[in-house]
Amino acid sequence: MITIISDDANQNIGQRIYKELCSKKIEVEYISISDADIKPCYSCGGCTYKTYGKCVVRDDGDKIYPKLISADVWLIVTPIMWGTYSYKTKRMVDKLCVIGDRHYSVVRGEIVKAMQGNIKKLYAVGIKDDCSTEEKSAFSKLVAENINIMNLSGGSFVVDSDVDDCDILKMAEEISK
Amino acid sequence: MKNVVIINLSPRKNGTSAMLAKMCKEYLLENEKNVETVDLYSHLEDMGTVLSLVDKADTIVMSGPCYIDHYPADTIYLLEQMSTHPEILHKQNLYGIIQGGMPYVHTHESGIRTLELFCQDCNINYKGAFVMGLGAMLNGQQLDKLINGKKVKKSYLAFLNNISNGEISPESLYKNVQIKMPTIVWMYLAKKMNNTINKELTEKGIDYLQPSPYWKM
Repeated sequence: MITIISDDANQNIGQRIYKELCSKKIEVEYISISDADIKPCYSCGGCTYKTYGKCVVRDDGDKIYPKLISADVWLIVTPIMWGTYSYKTKRMVDKLCVIGDRHYSVVRGEIVKAMQGNIKKLYAVGIKDDCSTEEKSAFSKLVAENINIMNLSGGSFVVDSDVDDCDILKMAEEISK
Repeated sequence: MKNVVIINLSPRKNGTSAMLAKMCKEYLLENEKNVETVDLYSHLEDMGTVLSLVDKADTIVMSGPCYIDHYPADTIYLLEQMSTHPEILHKQNLYGIIQGGMPYVHTHESGIRTLELFCQDCNINYKGAFVMGLGAMLNGQQLDKLINGKKVKKSYLAFLNNISNGEISPESLYKNVQIKMPTIVWMYLAKKMNNTINKELTEKGIDYLQPSPYWKM
């Protein structure tokens, strides 16, 4: 299953990829976080010592993380803010450790962590009109670091908000491989 | 440069980011700067105080932890708020500090890249950063407690001197003190840390093998 987490502010690219994947009869969950209430991670340690493996704060994370832990592929769709995710997207990312494995392993000579559940791939689509080469590179590097630290595979795309249908199709094909 | 604001980007007020911010404050006070410090997470509902301090400063220092390869989410919210108030951005110098649990610098550098891109976009002078691994292990303790504490401290003080003088701080300052070890040592450390985690959880009566509660929701 592919779970799409999309910050839909001012564009519908997440929805367009979702429709493309649905048309291929692929099982897809779509979560829009534009209006979601995801509280910040306060690094309180509650997910370790009070409610093991679960955030102590009740918010829309309760709907999001179950759909992430049961997916094989995550697709993050986000506006690019100075080479990184939108703050709403990053609030979701900050709490991914609740469905992460606490243990360490060594991959390609470096210490990494891993996720629980079925997840194998992480893709991210960053949206910004006329994005500079430097900013595209910063976003791609961030996603590559996320993929590395969670011991997954995957990749990233950077597109304008009016990306054409041909590119939507290409991204859907890559994500569903 | 005379007036400095140091923003603690961590939700924790006494963690490693706050310790580095405190060292920075003390160093700059000794060098006769006016220094204000502010905890970002105390002002998420109303950024007025933080934005006003940014406006009054000629140097901004941002110190924060690395949460999954970048500063915590609300750093991005702060930058958004700053960018929507161009009247408070008047070519201040900006320095970044980021520290995280992983011992490498590449896992933390994306945060710094964002500050650099933000500065290019928003009439601020990006002057460099200090990136530090193993920060989680310190948990707010002094730099001397790090495995490579002496070297890191020396390098960090050189970075603080750059801030005090308004100079560009070179990447080599933090890159040269990064710990490099053979794979077998990392494997040993990973095993040791895993054993420590399991022991601590078991002692607290927590079954670390239990399935995630999110499976049932």
